[in-house]
Amino acid sequence: MDTSQYLEIFLDETKEHLQNLNTQIMDLEQNPDNMDTINEIFRAAHSLKGMAGTMGYKRMQTLTHDMENVFSEVRNGTIKVQPEMIDVLFKCLDALEEYLDNIQQTTDEGTNDNEDLIKILNTILNNEKGEPAQKEEKPEAATAQAAGGAPDEREKWRAIKPNDTEKMLIEKANKEGLKVYGITVYIEEACVLKAARAFLVFKALEKLGEIIISQPTAQDIEDEKFENNFSLLFISGNKQEEVVAAIKSVSEIEEALCSEYVETQQASEEPEKVEEPPKEETTATPAKPAATPAPAASKPDAKKTPAKPVVNRTVRVDIEKLDNLMNLVSELIIAKNSLVSATGAQTNGDNGNFNEQIEYLESVTTNLHESVMKVRMVPIESVVAKFPRMIRDLSKKLGKKMELYMTGEDTELDRTVVDEIGDPLMHMLRNSADHGLEPNDVRVANGKPEVGSIFLDAYQDGNNVVIEVRDDGGGINIEAVKNKAIERGTITPEHAENMTEKEVIDLLFLPSFSTAKKVSDVSGRGVGLDVVKSKIESLSGEVEVKNKFGEGSSWIIRLPLTLAIIQALMVTIGNEKYAISLGSISNIEDISPSDVKLVQNKEVIHIRGTVIPIIRLNQLLDVESEPKDPDANMTVIIVKKGDKQAGLVVDELIGQQEIVIKSMGKFIKVPKIISGATILGNGEVALILDANTLI
Amino acid sequence: MGEVMTMDEQRRLESLNRPIEHDTTQYIVTQLGEEQYGIDIKYISNIVRMQKITRVPKVVKYIKGVINLRGEVIPILSLRLKMGLEEDVITKKTRIIILKMDQHESIGVLVDEVKEVVTLDDEHIEKVTYDKDDKAKFLCGVGKYDEKLISLLDIDAVLAENEG
Repeated sequence: MDTSQYLEIFLDETKEHLQNLNTQIMDLEQNPDNMDTINEIFRAAHSLKGMAGTMGYKRMQTLTHDMENVFSEVRNGTIKVQPEMIDVLFKCLDALEEYLDNIQQTTDEGTNDNEDLIKILNTILNNEKGEPAQKEEKPEAATAQAAGGAPDEREKWRAIKPNDTEKMLIEKANKEGLKVYGITVYIEEACVLKAARAFLVFKALEKLGEIIISQPTAQDIEDEKFENNFSLLFISGNKQEEVVAAIKSVSEIEEALCSEYVETQQASEEPEKVEEPPKEETTATPAKPAATPAPAASKPDAKKTPAKPVVNRTVRVDIEKLDNLMNLVSELIIAKNSLVSATGAQTNGDNGNFNEQIEYLESVTTNLHESVMKVRMVPIESVVAKFPRMIRDLSKKLGKKMELYMTGEDTELDRTVVDEIGDPLMHMLRNSADHGLEPNDVRVANGKPEVGSIFLDAYQDGNNVVIEVRDDGGGINIEAVKNKAIERGTITPEHAENMTEKEVIDLLFLPSFSTAKKVSDVSGRGVGLDVVKSKIESLSGEVEVKNKFGEGSSWIIRLPLTLAIIQALMVTIGNEKYAISLGSISNIEDISPSDVKLVQNKEVIHIRGTVIPIIRLNQLLDVESEPKDPDANMTVIIVKKGDKQAGLVVDELIGQQEIVIKSMGKFIKVPKIISGATILGNGEVALILDANTLI
Repeated sequence: MGEVMTMDEQRRLESLNRPIEHDTTQYIVTQLGEEQYGIDIKYISNIVRMQKITRVPKVVKYIKGVINLRGEVIPILSLRLKMGLEEDVITKKTRIIILKMDQHESIGVLVDEVKEVVTLDDEHIEKVTYDKDDKAKFLCGVGKYDEKLISLLDIDAVLAENEG
């Protein structure tokens, strides 16, 4: 089978499963007896194995198979979860990730057999279970079969219990010299139209004989309410091989297990079931011979509900297609804006209906934009989910006890931002773990709990998403930073005297600055924070640090929700038009020039108890404009950033508008205050002012 | 903002008129003050008429601002100011030549006038050998065509200095 077309899906789903396994095994470490977790791990490992097998990645399959064996024994209660075992399992996950990386880069899993890991896994199995011979055999047998456990377990048709009518049919068939076969058909995991394949199998079989029982029921199969297998009792005059051949003639069938149905089996069935591991238990125990359809239906349900919903309502879409869609929406908004300005130009009053339509168009484009934005939003969970594992490993490596607490994993951000945010967050968490938290004995001496806490909180705040990394460690030692900076010649001792705390903290973001006394594997190579900062800034975000020496520090990342289209206030300065993002504006004031006071030679205004510095934009931007009446009132836009404010003096307000942010290209070095450009309805370009840089 | 002629059209016209020779390069000849300058056609994606340029504050002087070219915001560079000539005087003949660089970034160059397209043989191009003064450092050679001398612009040099 050509599997290349499934490679993308395979990669995506494998990543999900691995992530899931990571999370669940972390969980298992905390609660070794949680049956739900163990089941979930088993399921994920099983799916991984199946997928790897389908794609022909034998090494990956072998490793997952052995992991699955271990989980299976844990589930059966024969093996207890041990800390060493958790470590081994994590190593296995790392090995699987390595395979996945190889596959992603070369479409080949590589040649690392990870024999040592497999050996350890088998040792776990053998030691604890004491059945070495049997277990040794198992991997090979299963590899040959591509999925599933021992053959007996796979012949699920043995669980079928015919009712009286069906028994009669079977007897009758036997009398007539026809054969009764029990069949279990496995459809490939990657198969998209399982119901259709199953239907084709039914069709093929009906040509040869009569299906008396199917499990799940034919109706459930038609509705795709089954996993990757279904079982049948089938009466036919044909030979067994012919029946198997007929089934296998249908494509995407992984396996067809078929053997003669023997009456006597029924008698032995009941006790046999009890001995079997819990896998079959769910159906076998409640089943009564008279009620075949009931267990038939309940079986897939019971197995499936926790795994994933039967009806998958999501579609995987290439991000490029979404980018394209986004661009088109941007174009549409520009076109709409030009329509709006065209109607504004025509002043004859009889186009009321036209205006209505324009307004309608406006609301449609706004909604469209929002929808497209939402489509592109993904929860940051996909990024942060790997952090608990990372902190666990760091904790072991650094020999510090620490715990990570996360909230707001469901906070959504644009997909492109989420993809980029992982590394900076990882840096910051490592920083907190390595520099932030004190060693355990120091913590105890300082009267803090021995186990350090790191918090990662994400939440939406207006048009921004805030991600906060916090620790209850020692905080930033301002003096240590100063000394280091002086030592490195970044600042002079005199300069250091006069620096505010914030200025000192800003030093940390300079390239190649690290206060860690020794360079560790974890952080302290001086490539961290400046990279974090430039990455966040490239995403139009900002980093803020709050520090309390002795009590910990928090690093706050603020990211815009959208990158491409914003609501802005259009203003004129002289004869130029500028846009200011609505998100940063708090209010607009009409100020008499006499209210402007001078404080330390800077112009300020006094509004409702706060003193706000004002900035005359025409001076700042070198706009040539004819001098105005000095007594006329000024229009001041009050912008805010955090709890700081500033007043921007403009000449005139044009109004609110949805604008599409365009890059200005690499050829010109624009000052920081210009964050981009936009195209107005009349085709003119207006620049976007980043008010944040003025505060 | 209508375009004069797309380069493809111009190139096609050109090929109709002339036999294709080896080792030749096509240049668009532009007027800047008294002198004529040639720009290698391979850099040129478009030539548009003068349109409203939005000034960008606090940038180097020879960047006149930005324009909207079919939905893209493109910076405009004044060749005159870049080469140390006096400020541009906008006339009906003023054109913006849109250059497309390798990194798919576009930039517009303001010239007084676009004259014609010429095809120069390699043997008709003389490398600049004398000490490069302010103006000459943007040149990669001088071409002779119909008894005229055309200074050939080194586009990389013209644009490179922006990054500094």
